[in-house]
Amino acid sequence: MSTRVPSPQVVGRVSRVTVMLVVAAMFVLPIVGFIAMAFRDQENVAAGTDGFLGLGGLSWDHVVFSWSQIAGFGPAGGGLFQRWILNSLLLAVTGGVLALVAALPAGYALARLRFRWRRIWLFATLLAMVMPNTVLVIPLFLEVNAIGAVGQLWPVAVIMGFFPFGVYLSYIHFMTTMPPELVEAARIDGLGEYAIFFRIGLPISKQAIALVAFFSFVANWTNFFLPLALLTSNQQNKTISIGIQELIGASPLFNATVAAGLDVKLYMPQLALATVISMLPLLAVFIGAQRFLVRGQTVGAVKG
Amino acid sequence: MAPYALLFLVAAAIPIGYALWISLQKAPTLVNPQSGFGGIDAYVTAVTDFRFFDTFINIFTVMIVWLPLMIIGIVGLALLVHASPGRFGESMRFIYFLPGALAGIANFVLWVYLLNPSISPIAFLWQGSVLSNLKEVVTAENLPLILTAMLFFQGVGTWIVIVYGGLNGIAEEVFEAAKIDGANAWQLAWRIKLPLIRPWIGYAALMNLAYGFQLFLEPYLLRQISSGSIEGEWAPTQLGYAFAFTNRNFPAAAAMSIILLVITLAIGMFIVFRSGLFGEEEKSK
Repeated sequence: MSTRVPSPQVVGRVSRVTVMLVVAAMFVLPIVGFIAMAFRDQENVAAGTDGFLGLGGLSWDHVVFSWSQIAGFGPAGGGLFQRWILNSLLLAVTGGVLALVAALPAGYALARLRFRWRRIWLFATLLAMVMPNTVLVIPLFLEVNAIGAVGQLWPVAVIMGFFPFGVYLSYIHFMTTMPPELVEAARIDGLGEYAIFFRIGLPISKQAIALVAFFSFVANWTNFFLPLALLTSNQQNKTISIGIQELIGASPLFNATVAAGLDVKLYMPQLALATVISMLPLLAVFIGAQRFLVRGQTVGAVKG
Repeated sequence: MAPYALLFLVAAAIPIGYALWISLQKAPTLVNPQSGFGGIDAYVTAVTDFRFFDTFINIFTVMIVWLPLMIIGIVGLALLVHASPGRFGESMRFIYFLPGALAGIANFVLWVYLLNPSISPIAFLWQGSVLSNLKEVVTAENLPLILTAMLFFQGVGTWIVIVYGGLNGIAEEVFEAAKIDGANAWQLAWRIKLPLIRPWIGYAALMNLAYGFQLFLEPYLLRQISSGSIEGEWAPTQLGYAFAFTNRNFPAAAAMSIILLVITLAIGMFIVFRSGLFGEEEKSK
């Protein structure tokens, strides 16, 4: 009897599963280590004593201490971090609402109405959608500067309301869910165009509303260059994304001079905690929108 | 349509037009504070700036390393996931997507942690070298590799989902037919799936290419933690930013953004026309 040689299929399956698990570990372990960092103590981090991924040194007391440092950041007793989170919430929500108000009717019009320059609008929307939004930041800064509104929140909210991907999503949505025959029938029944949109179009658009709101919220929350250019000049009006940059800049790890003048000490555990906290709202909207995301995956997949 | 048209004007059309106009102005100087029509002066300033070509060379050095890796990673992992039906494939796909959720600044702070040799769990990867602290790791020479790692980590998951979606769009019968013809899993992936998802691969490559030109956050922040060993104007967007905020030379800043805008617009048009995004309408009419 000869020894059994494993069949090629088995070898193939084993190597496939192995490769996938190794890659998965490469993706997950850094994140686990990073979140663990938020629960650790600077002394142990510096000494490197907390064992594998620092999992041996986790404690809620460390979080409480780190939070006191983060919350104490800023002039006159701190509070800047909370303020930045509020700013981000305000901008992301206002921008999201504006995006919805603009995107749904526009998507509907592009999909089901016939008007002049419709194809040009569609083309411009697609183009704006695939282009990275940061190339427009300097021109936007010049525009806002020209009206003297740099450092204020409202121009940022208005700009965030421009969300071509949302228009594209609603366009696809109305294309697929509202057949032309339905619109025709409604017209014959004597409904006006607005009535058709509000009484027939909107009620069937829960899915599209959730998707547009979700993607717009995430894009606004993580936007960095736009608030950097428009809000840096006003510390009270910063968003959390550029706020974390300021925290990094105030850490003794990277700028000893600035850090020496502060009451609070922001080491890696504090920075990690600040980052983890700044991700919680994203986690919340993700969980809230998950139901819709799974179904809308094919549409959402077009955006990079 | 009206609200959207208004926003489109305010957030895209007017700034572009205004930037175009500004870019044709002369930069006011101390001697002559009056600005006026300057023709292509601002473009000359931008292009002849000693950093102009360097910034593009910098971007290209990153793209040479990053883009091929990115595409191979996306396609390879998407094919692996697609070859693994059921729970295992699903959970792997979810795990690959996870880092993508750490967008922007969060991904950056994560990498501050990962790059620091004294606290990083992946420091063994460069254990053999003499690098002992963060400043020695984050240098101009290492920047292409660091950026590649950061961008790969952050971006690959989303694209796996997209290309996987493309693979799912292929009719089952195609695979059935190939199996009947005796194709094994490897041949199926290489000969059947890969050619069929070529449009998706092209789409991913172009979108990432356009993304590369507008890199800002990562080099900008890496400089902050490198104690100055990385130039402040490393990427084209940073140069535009420096024109606007350091030199206060708005015409040059505008000219710089117009140059970048033209490049990304060209790539964008290519995507819109070639990917069938625009053509979809014809089919569904």
